[in-house]
Amino acid sequence: MRVRWSLFLLPPLLVSLVLFVAPQMAFVRGSLLHNLGYGQTGPTLTLENYVRFFTDAFYQEALLRTAGLSLIDALACLAVGLPIAYRLARSRSRWRSMWLTLVVASSLVTVVIKALGMMVLLSANGPVNQVVLGLGLVREPLRLLNNDVGVVLGLIHYTLPLVILILFSVVQTIPEDLEAAARTLGAPPLRVMVRVVLPLALPGLVAASLMAFNLAMGAFTSTALLGGGRVLTLPVLIQRKAVLEVDYPFAATISVVLLVSGVLLNVLVLRLAMRLRRGAPAGVVG
Amino acid sequence: MRHADVTMLALARRLVGLVCAAGYAFLMAPLVVILVASFAGRQSHYVVFPPTSFSLEWYLRVPAEYFRPAVTSVGVALAAGSISTALGVLAAFALVRGRLPGRNFLKAYFNAPLQVPFVVTGIVFLQFYYLLYGLTGARLLGTVWGLVAVHVLITLPYMIGTVSAVLERFEVSLEEAALTLGATRWSTLRRVTLPLIKPGIVAGALYAFVVSFGDIPASMFVVSTATTTLPVQLFYALEFDYTPALLALCSLVVVVSMTAIFAVQWLLGVDFVPRGRAGG
Repeated sequence: MRVRWSLFLLPPLLVSLVLFVAPQMAFVRGSLLHNLGYGQTGPTLTLENYVRFFTDAFYQEALLRTAGLSLIDALACLAVGLPIAYRLARSRSRWRSMWLTLVVASSLVTVVIKALGMMVLLSANGPVNQVVLGLGLVREPLRLLNNDVGVVLGLIHYTLPLVILILFSVVQTIPEDLEAAARTLGAPPLRVMVRVVLPLALPGLVAASLMAFNLAMGAFTSTALLGGGRVLTLPVLIQRKAVLEVDYPFAATISVVLLVSGVLLNVLVLRLAMRLRRGAPAGVVG
Repeated sequence: MRHADVTMLALARRLVGLVCAAGYAFLMAPLVVILVASFAGRQSHYVVFPPTSFSLEWYLRVPAEYFRPAVTSVGVALAAGSISTALGVLAAFALVRGRLPGRNFLKAYFNAPLQVPFVVTGIVFLQFYYLLYGLTGARLLGTVWGLVAVHVLITLPYMIGTVSAVLERFEVSLEEAALTLGATRWSTLRRVTLPLIKPGIVAGALYAFVVSFGDIPASMFVVSTATTTLPVQLFYALEFDYTPALLALCSLVVVVSMTAIFAVQWLLGVDFVPRGRAGG
């Protein structure tokens, strides 16, 4: 008796067509409608919302700010996440699984609770300011909330554990023998890192940083709370347009721009990474 | 090695160690601060860190209005998690074992809901429920089932991902052996296949629960005051201000959920490392 596995796809496919494709299509079509206020829309299709987005400097600035903050987040996550992931993957300590569990636990904590912790930590009379004031590094409390600094720290806290977990499994796939071989052949540690480990980890590094970037581009909760309504990224603007101004067509327009720009940036980065990989010295990349 | 190299190496090691320590301190600090500050005594009604005295005062003063959202959150996460589990297992079997045209496209398609920022998903559903109400008169906005539907969409990809990963490594010969030895299709499924793919199902279901339980942006547009979830209620409270009682509530949530997750993981022996993305 043969099982027709393909038929199993029908229920999930049906559900996802109803819950994903149909609503999204209706939504995207909504971005082409004229807003009459109070949730009402005009009958004909128009590009006026897109024209409004791309002729108003305010929205372009918001797009650039969203991408800029996400880029800083991705780079910071790589810079901090790679050393941690490398150490974890190469560690032979019996505490290794505890260190790994801490990262997993951090990744599972709800964003709103993380944001609350950051609010307490970074407030004008919070521990961070107490320390820097106590050490005499600054005279006035640092402003770490309701601005770009708070938002970036919130984004890093949100994406760093996920980046560490991905990079951990990437480093684990790189045989330690290769590093030992390079060292035996006389390569100093730094060169082993740059010529052996990094090229082999490149696809994973690209994937992890893209994930961090994409998550940051769409991040709402931490940005809304730590930006205090003063850092207007596209996800925050989408919520405001829909809830405060009840302008669904424009909220849909911002969403489409956010999605399309995200996809374009991903394609661009992947193409660059492919070129970089092809340009790497022969024999290094497996 | 030359002397200079040795010093450089020691320096580099120390630098890496410093970055690691800073990274861990950064990851843990907000949670530690919440936990410690939640035990503050009754010295004031705003948060003081470090607390000058300790008590369980604020745990007794967690506002009662958070009870119902907490129940809703757990209920919705259980319902959405179960539905996702059922649908995800079906989809994973079809995607891995079926002879499907465009299998890679289908895989990408089922993962696509995670590529859409959850705040967008939330508004999409808000509009969709309006539209549905206008067309059919079915009211989903502000109902628990309307919320469950949203959470099924955002948790299904995790389920499909974890179960597919296990199925791809599955030795079909084990099933063939059972069948050859006279086991029925049903008992092969129950006694061979399911036990082997259990880790994938449990890991996926756990992560689905976590994602559903913690979500704000996808939920906030489709809940009403009667069906609001714990994180959404917390979000609106934090936009205004935070009190030591909220720290106590959050500490409870963190401790209870971590204990539950790691207990399940330990009991079922699942190596649970969440994959990839969750929109927040």
